[in-house]
Amino acid sequence: MKNPGLKKDVYWNPIVETLPLEKLRELQVKKFKRILEWAYERSKFHRRLYQEAGLEPGDIRSYEDVEKVPKVEKAMMRDIQRKDPFPYGDALCVPLEEVTEFRQTSGTTGRPVYQPDTWQDWEWWSEAWAYLLYAQGYRRMDRVFIPFGYNIFVAFWAGHYAAEKVGCEVVPGGVLDTEARILKIQELQATAMMATPTYVLGMADTARKKLGIDPARDLTVRRITCAGEPGASIPSTKKRMEDAWGAKVYDHVGATEIGAWGFECTEQPGGLHVNEALFLTQLEDIETGELIEDPGRKGKIVITALDREAQPCIRFDSKDVAEWSADPCPCGRTFRIIKGGVVGRADDITKIKGVLVAPSAIEEGVRAVNGLSNEFEIVVTKKGDLDDITLKIEILPDAEGNREAILGQLRDQLRLKTNLGYNIEVHPYQSLPRYEVKAKRFKDLRKHG
Amino acid sequence: MNRREIKGMEARINKIRKTTEELKGLCGAIPAVERNAARILASVKMLEINISDLLMLK
Repeated sequence: MKNPGLKKDVYWNPIVETLPLEKLRELQVKKFKRILEWAYERSKFHRRLYQEAGLEPGDIRSYEDVEKVPKVEKAMMRDIQRKDPFPYGDALCVPLEEVTEFRQTSGTTGRPVYQPDTWQDWEWWSEAWAYLLYAQGYRRMDRVFIPFGYNIFVAFWAGHYAAEKVGCEVVPGGVLDTEARILKIQELQATAMMATPTYVLGMADTARKKLGIDPARDLTVRRITCAGEPGASIPSTKKRMEDAWGAKVYDHVGATEIGAWGFECTEQPGGLHVNEALFLTQLEDIETGELIEDPGRKGKIVITALDREAQPCIRFDSKDVAEWSADPCPCGRTFRIIKGGVVGRADDITKIKGVLVAPSAIEEGVRAVNGLSNEFEIVVTKKGDLDDITLKIEILPDAEGNREAILGQLRDQLRLKTNLGYNIEVHPYQSLPRYEVKAKRFKDLRKHG
Repeated sequence: MNRREIKGMEARINKIRKTTEELKGLCGAIPAVERNAARILASVKMLEINISDLLMLK
């Protein structure tokens, strides 16, 4: 397992992160079989699922066999929960008294799904985050401020514990309001932060308008890890955040049911590495289900957490859409990259006027234009038989003199990014909804008739 | 790092696991020992994931 030319102090685990892909695959298949056997023996839910498919763990001998294992969807977890062993139901693989952590999903797509973790699973969560924080340059001299509510959603909990594991000093910024958080970051000279893109931009706005603080000039934060919504992988949103804070902004992707499975490294290669040490990540064609191994085609992510034991995540259909990158990363990691990060959700990507559109593509177009505020809203309706799409924007007060040029640029960007024309409505500055943590800017009213 | 060195680390990880499991077995009614030993074993699993599992490779 020699790794000539290994970069120094770049990797949390330099051996695993630079293994040749065929070795990673070999390791993943062995670990997949292990977790499959674990779930088959202990989870009535999983055993039932596999027996109905005529499958036993011994049937999985190769990477190609993995596809035979039936997928799990969120709705299936909803159906089995709120029953004994209460409240998790029969996908629980450990005695109830071994569960030490309760979290739940946000409930945006339906009733929340409960997620039990043992202390070992919780260590595993922070291990997955340690891989990503180390890849984003967090080190023992960092003072990490986490402006997060420390609530029932997993969000940045594991980021907190991983930063501790890496050896950073962690400042928990819960309870404080936004202004108090900014002042605390300034007082303690925090060097790093974790937040959603909406909150990163919101904090910068509050700092300038209410405190007369320019984060880029007056604060010491130089690295920001984002999670919770796509923004940090949308180039124009990332640029807005980096310019506002004078910091590097790195994306990460994870989910309550899965774990922290993807991350951007300091090279910012235009995508996210999938953590091949802890997860088996596959792309499937959205319509045919065929496995996609090569770059150039978008697919749905189906993912297995290889070491998560209390409530295993095996061939979980995440509904996230991505495509593989063709290019290796200068960081030297052999972990594959999903190009541009998660580009949308299979249930968010929608046809408008016959064109498939991801809300993130619209965001990319809007944020690429200077002179617009950070807020916007998209409303899709039906006018007779035809789709109609309206984009509501705000022009910054000091850019009003440039209105026509800005609108022209916006139309060009939207055409380029989405191949669509929009009704553009200019709203008074600060009149569009503001979001605290996660934004809901895309409203498809066609579904409601 | 070569396979021999990884095997050396694995041996020590196994020793930590075995010793901690023995301690858990010996501790009787001392929750302070039993629960802290359980936490150590969770960390040992992270060492196994990062190092010992590599020996599954041919």
